[in-house]
Parts: sequence; structure tokens; C-alpha cells
Amino acid sequence: MPTVDVAALGTARKLLGFSKRRVSFGQGTVADLLRQLATVDGGTLYANLTCDGRLRGDFAVLVDGFSLKPDQLDRPLLGGEQVVTLAILRHLHGG
Amino acid sequence: MATAASAYHGSWIPSTCGMCLHGCGIKVLVKDGVALKIEGDPTNPDNLGKLCPKGNAGLARLYDSTRVLRPMKRTNPMKGPGVNPAWVEITWDEAYGIVARELGKVRADDPRKLLCALGDFQRILLWGWPAVFGSPNFFTSLGNYCGGSYHPVNGPVDGSFAAINDYELCNYWIQIGSGDGFSSHLHVSGSSKRMADARMRGMKVVTLDPRCSVAAAKADEWIPILPGTDRAFVLGMAHVLVHELDRFDREFLRDRTNAPYLVLDDGHFLRDDAGKAQVWDTRAQAPAAWDTVPPEAMTLEGLFVTEGRPVRTGFQVWKDILVTHTPERMSEITTVPAPTIRRIAGEFVEAARLGATIEIAGKTYPYRPAALNYYRGSQSHANGLFDNMTYKLFNMLVGNIDVPGGHLGVPLDHRGFFVSPGEDGMLKPEPHQLHPAPPFKYPPDSTHLMEWFPIGFDAGQLNTETLLEPERFGLNYRPEAMLLYHSNPLWNLPETGKVEEIMRRMKFVVAIDIHLTESTQWADVFLPDRTFLESTLLNCLEPPVVTGHSVRQPVVEPLGDTRDAYEILTELAERLGFRDDWNDLLNVVCGFTQKPEYLLNPEKRYSDHELWDRYAKSIYGEERGLEWFKRNGHAVRPRTPEETYLPYGQLRLPFYFEFIQRTGEDLRRKMEEAGIAGWPFDNYKPLPFWKDSAVIEDGARGYSFFAITFKEALHTFADTMVMPWLTEVSEKDPVHGGILINAQTAATFGIQTGARIRLTSPAGSIEGLAQVVEGIHPQVLGVSNAITRHFVTNPAVRVKGSHFNRLLAGSMRYTDNATGGLESTARVRLEVMRGWEEEVRYAHG
Repeated sequence: MPTVDVAALGTARKLLGFSKRRVSFGQGTVADLLRQLATVDGGTLYANLTCDGRLRGDFAVLVDGFSLKPDQLDRPLLGGEQVVTLAILRHLHGG
Repeated sequence: MATAASAYHGSWIPSTCGMCLHGCGIKVLVKDGVALKIEGDPTNPDNLGKLCPKGNAGLARLYDSTRVLRPMKRTNPMKGPGVNPAWVEITWDEAYGIVARELGKVRADDPRKLLCALGDFQRILLWGWPAVFGSPNFFTSLGNYCGGSYHPVNGPVDGSFAAINDYELCNYWIQIGSGDGFSSHLHVSGSSKRMADARMRGMKVVTLDPRCSVAAAKADEWIPILPGTDRAFVLGMAHVLVHELDRFDREFLRDRTNAPYLVLDDGHFLRDDAGKAQVWDTRAQAPAAWDTVPPEAMTLEGLFVTEGRPVRTGFQVWKDILVTHTPERMSEITTVPAPTIRRIAGEFVEAARLGATIEIAGKTYPYRPAALNYYRGSQSHANGLFDNMTYKLFNMLVGNIDVPGGHLGVPLDHRGFFVSPGEDGMLKPEPHQLHPAPPFKYPPDSTHLMEWFPIGFDAGQLNTETLLEPERFGLNYRPEAMLLYHSNPLWNLPETGKVEEIMRRMKFVVAIDIHLTESTQWADVFLPDRTFLESTLLNCLEPPVVTGHSVRQPVVEPLGDTRDAYEILTELAERLGFRDDWNDLLNVVCGFTQKPEYLLNPEKRYSDHELWDRYAKSIYGEERGLEWFKRNGHAVRPRTPEETYLPYGQLRLPFYFEFIQRTGEDLRRKMEEAGIAGWPFDNYKPLPFWKDSAVIEDGARGYSFFAITFKEALHTFADTMVMPWLTEVSEKDPVHGGILINAQTAATFGIQTGARIRLTSPAGSIEGLAQVVEGIHPQVLGVSNAITRHFVTNPAVRVKGSHFNRLLAGSMRYTDNATGGLESTARVRLEVMRGWEEEVRYAHG
């Protein structure tokens, strides 16, 4: 079965309980992958990261380095991709 | 890297200067473990082997006898100006233990109670530490005075962070309130060489400045102007181009901007049912979606009626605004004669060569060799948004944005322009390039009300209001601890008395710095950082003509018992229990999320060497890790024409800033829903115009003079003013000898050089010795930053104490309500102090 490398940062890492993992994943979309990823409290990452089917504004998902827009969770995954998910910190620094 | 011609026998080590934020390439001569000399790196195409006085004085920072070389704790609980902290040296373990204990209590209670003052731009990657701690608060950020309104306009216009005229191809350069190419701003060492070369080939420079600055003294023409009125001068020139000469780049405005989009009376674009902006289709004499009408069928000017509603093009709206901005009216505001405004406008548009093209590397571009460049002095004002918009629009009138010869965007770093498609065929507006835009929130989380500036910067100066009256702004907590990271808020914030009061209320202050300063002497624990000659990083910040990183590396063994700031913050993160989140934040800000193979493991601690090695490899590949950079110095190269000119392809630029108006309307709605009353919104306008600001109004209250501050290549920020090498040089220049006053004005008041004078603004007052000069506007008093420090530990440096920032106010009245930019000009009363004849002059013996 194809695999996807999943990395989780910050809040997403705490939700999943791991920072990096190779996940077996049949054909599907990013949304399907997020539904497959179980959180430590028994839910799914999809339930935590989305609202009305769209990616929440305070989270980001990158596939092979490219950040998905909120309505792009239907992007297909074919296997071999690197998926990074993280919570966005909005108060990074001054300037 | 050996220099054959050198008379020294030792090793030349390539590195990066850290005396300002920009980081020129340097090489350091080291013999027997001692750094002997610093020179510019001739292989680095950024600074071309040149080095400014600060860079040449870098050894004086390394070997400064007043550096703090070991951790210290204060033993005197009393705090205040002039209070001896009674420092005692302690071990790092004890220092870390105290800081972790005190900050741990704050974090457990409410992490927002940590207030952070951040500096040290070259280590900007570390500025996210407070966010991981859980605090959104920045007490000060150095950009308050410079980029507060500048960056939020550059970003939306072309995805850039800064801007500069095209040194190589510009023929007519208008310089307003900036030292670019002469004394300050972007990469001054290389830029000065480029400017000199351009002058040699005949480029004309016209400088507007209240003071005969270096840029003014070396210009073909200096035009003295009242501070804060530069926009009026440029609006007057725009009037001349549009209404008198009828000479502007119609094709550029029509084809490459949203100037032809139709605007309703409410300021919004006319949109079709699909939400697309409309233009006037001259074929059908009707509105049509912008992407359905060929450029030649669009009209740029005109008033039309559609479905009973009047609509104008965006260009027409500004043209109508400009009707009243005649040179005569703008002359009354600026004191620049109307014929001068007309003449400069005419020369500018003539030099712009409308319609010309040039072929570069096989590609044909528009050629517009005339451009207006500007920075702090011309736009760090309470209406700074309008200032910046005006200068951009004036450049757009001749179609010179990002084309050869013209006004070019400068990216924040190696990533280049922030380019992505937005709505209506436009470049997506990117006002926030340093962090994501914070959503509106009430009560706000941040004490500088970051959530209330959706297109703005971080208005650290507002802390002087909010922290003393938090309930007025809905803040439901009060900060109790402070982190000073290479920042000196008692020097760099306005209203020093209020800042002192805020610091007095802090239960715990920790400083990470190199020196004791006005602010760090209030610290409970001082953690000594290493200098740029003892530490490691890769640097690429605001490069005007190049791209790529240069390395900073230790050239000698660190002095004393100091630690690198990265190591300090990492140790504190570990002791406070968030090293995993700290690593994850570094994963984001270092860009490792785009290259997941380089992601830091949250469970592992990385050395600074490991971090920067990963950073280098993630950008330049496995072969170019940190060791490669240490050997070779840099991977800096000139930007290509494709990276420089029109890097956003066919995406249109904003001429009419509809998104700013929409953002303001959205903010107003949210504030009304939250029950917030009295918040100003009047700068959320789609187009700029002249309106008086607080400093103009203060003139009617009896503050008849304008006070300005300025710097030259000798100094930047606060730390260079305590370096004997640099102060000795600056004291030999009369411009740094005291408070500058025009000779004619001085005669009127009976003031001679050396007289003690007092300047009083609505916010505070300062004293100093008068320096009578010809080269300053008669209504203006100038205070060099070289005389502003009021606490110095080095006995070889005399305290001058004319602390300009005391004259400034940090309130919303003096803040651009859209960008958060700070007003950096003060209106003042001038008094001659009694007994001045007995004062000893320090400047010229």
C-alpha cells in the first residue's frame, strides 16, 4: 500500500501524539488522510482542523512544501508525498 | 581567504558584519587568536568590498571593555534612572534557574503577562520565542520609527518589503527623507558605491529634506521642506502631471494596474453578479468584467452612469482629488515655492521617457529612468499610509514600478517577492510579511493592540498608553515580567517617563544583551550574549540588488563566559518546558516545513551549528552546509533581470487601494459589534490626499518649531553611540555637535553656538547645546541621534543626553490608525536657558 510521510508541528503534534510518521494510505484526498489520522483523544485530525469542510484559519497543511488553501483539502494524494500540518502562531514577532 | 597585499600576517576569515541589520560581507584578520582588522569582502556583490564606519569599528564592540561578559543578578531591589543595581556575577546555572523560576510563574498564571522588547534584526528567526512562550506582546520593535507605514504599503503594491530606485539605469532620482545611497537605509556600503557610479555617469539627484543631510549636500539640488509635508510636495507634482502637463503613462495605468476599474460613490468597485470588478468598455459604452475587455477598449478616465448610478474609474477618482492639490496650495503647506514644484515635476516626467523600452537579456521591458525614492523622514508620520501611497502612485504615474530605471521592490529576504494572484487579476495584497495577520479580537490579547491593525505593523509605542490605562482598551490583564532582547525601550520608545513607569511596575525583568543600557540596568538578571564576531548565523535581509546568504561565524574564541542568544533562548525553552514547541516554531520560521526532510525533531536539542547547517542545506542543498559557508563566506549573487523586473508577470498592481477601505469597513463593523467606541478609522481610504496631522495642528497650539532627528552612516539604533571610535569621529562633525538651528532663526533669538536651549513638545522636553548652521530649514530644529544617549557606561564616551524620543508621543493621535506607524516629528517650543554662557562646550573645545 502506498505511504505518506506525515509531520505534525505544535498543536497538531500534540493532537496526534507524534511528530513524524510514515502512514499507509490508499488512494484518496488530503481530507481522507486527515480523517484517517486519529488524535490522542480518540477523534480525528480532520475534526480538529476543519470547519464546514474547509481548513480552519488557524491551521496550515502543506503537501510537498506547498501550503493548501482552505478549500483545497480535496487535493488527491497518490502516495510518496510529504504532508506537514501545523497550527499557525499569529504573534511571531515584531518588526 | 588570504589577501596578498595585506601587510599583516594572519588569517583572513570571511564573515558578515553585525553592526546594523543588513550584514555586509566582511573578512576579519585574526592572528594568535586576536581579531586585528575588519575589511569589506570584495567577493561579496552586495557591498563590493566596501564597509561603512560602523563596520570598520566592529572590533571595538568585540573588545569593548564595558561589555558584560558573565551572567549577573541585581542585588538592589530599587529600580530607576541612576539607581545602582549592585550587580553581582553568578553562574549560568543560577541565572537560568532564576529566570526559569520567575518566567515559569508568569507562564503558569497567564503567559500574556510577559512583555517583550525585541531587537537584533539579523537573528529575526529568534523573535518567535515569546509566541511559543504564549505571549503576543512586544513592548517595542525597532521598526516603529521607520517601517511602520512603509512595509504595509510595499507589500500590497508589488509583494516587496522595501524599495529602491534602479541604481544602474535611473537618470533622475528624487530622494525624499532618505539616506539611500548616501548615509543610511538599505545596505549603505554597497549602495553608496552604486550611487557614486550612477552620479559619475550623469544621474541627477534632487533631495528634499528639512536638513542639508549627506544626501542633500551631495545632490544636484537640495530643496528644504517642512517635516511631515513631503506628501504635499508630491501631490502637487502629481497635480502638475495630471492636470497641467497631461503627461503620464496611460498604458501602464490601464494595462498593469486597477486604475481603469470602475468605482461607485461608496468607494467600492462596481462588480458584476459574479463579483468581478468592472471596467468601461468603450465598444459597448457599458461596464464589463475587467477580463472580458481588451486593454485598448478600456478607458482610463471618465465619469459614467450605469443603471442610474454614477461611476468613475479609479484613476479618475484620484484625478478629481488632485484638482485641489495645486502647487500654490501645496507650497503653503511645504514652504517649497510653487514654481519649484512645477519645475521638478516637469523634469521628472521628461526624464521618465514615457513610451521608451529597453532590451535586457533578450527581453524587452518598459524603460523609465526617473524615480522617486523615500524612507523614514518622508513617511514615518501620523498619516504615513497616505504618504506611502502617494509616493507609490506618483511613481506609477510614469509607469516606473519594477521596470528598468525605475522604482524597484526589494524583497524581505532570499525568498524574493511575495507573489500570488489575488482577486480581479491583481497581485494578492501582502501587508503582513513578518507574521500572519492577527484576527480581530475583543478584549485584545496584545497590549499593543495588534488585533486592531489588520493591515498594520506592530505599534509598540501604543504600550505607553495601553499599559497605563489598560481598562480603556479592554485589556483584562497587566504584564508583570519583561524580556529585553537587544532592545532599549527607555531610549527607543517615545514618552520616556511613561516607559519608566511601566518598567517600574514589572515584577521581573530579564535582559539578553551585550551592554548595560538605559533599559538593561533595570534588569533583575542579565544574560550576556556574544557579539557578531563570536556567533553563528546566515544572513539575508532587505538586499536591494542581490540575493543569497552570507555567513556570520566566530572569528575568535568567545570572550568571558558568554552564550549565543540562540543557546540562551533554547535553554530557557527547555527549562520552561516548551523546547518541543520552540523547535516546531523554528521549523516554521526557518522554512523547514517546505523541506520536511530538514524538520527539527521536537524531542531533540540542536546546537546553533546544527540549526544553521540545516538552514543552509535546506536552501542551498546538501553540498552547501554551514561548513561550506564558513569556507566561502557567502552565496550572494546579483539578482537576475527576471527576479528584479516585473517579477509578478501580468498581475495588476493596486492604483486604487479598495482593499484598504474594505479592511477598514470590516474592522469598523467588528468594533461596533464589540461595543468599542471612539476608535479612529479615517485613514482607511483607497486613495491619498492632503490632510493635516497632529503635528500640523500642534503648531496652532504654540509649538511653532518642528523638531526632527536624523542619523548618518556612523550610527544606527542605540549601540553605536557608546563606542568610543565612532563617537570620536561623530564629535568632529558639527552636525553632531548639538541641536541644529538655522543661522537666521538663531540670530532672531540671539542664540549662538554653544547656547543651552530647551525644546518642549506636548509630550516632553529636552535640553542641549545649540549648533548654529546654515543647512537646516528655518522652522526646524535637528537632533542627531549621536547625542541622544542618556546612560553610558564607557568612560571614554560623554553623555550628551538630548534624548529626542522624549519629545514624541505614543498615543493614537500620533499614530497612523491604519498602519500603526508612529509620528516621528515633534512640534516644539524653543527656549534659551539662562546662564548658558557658563556652559562648557563639548563639541569643539
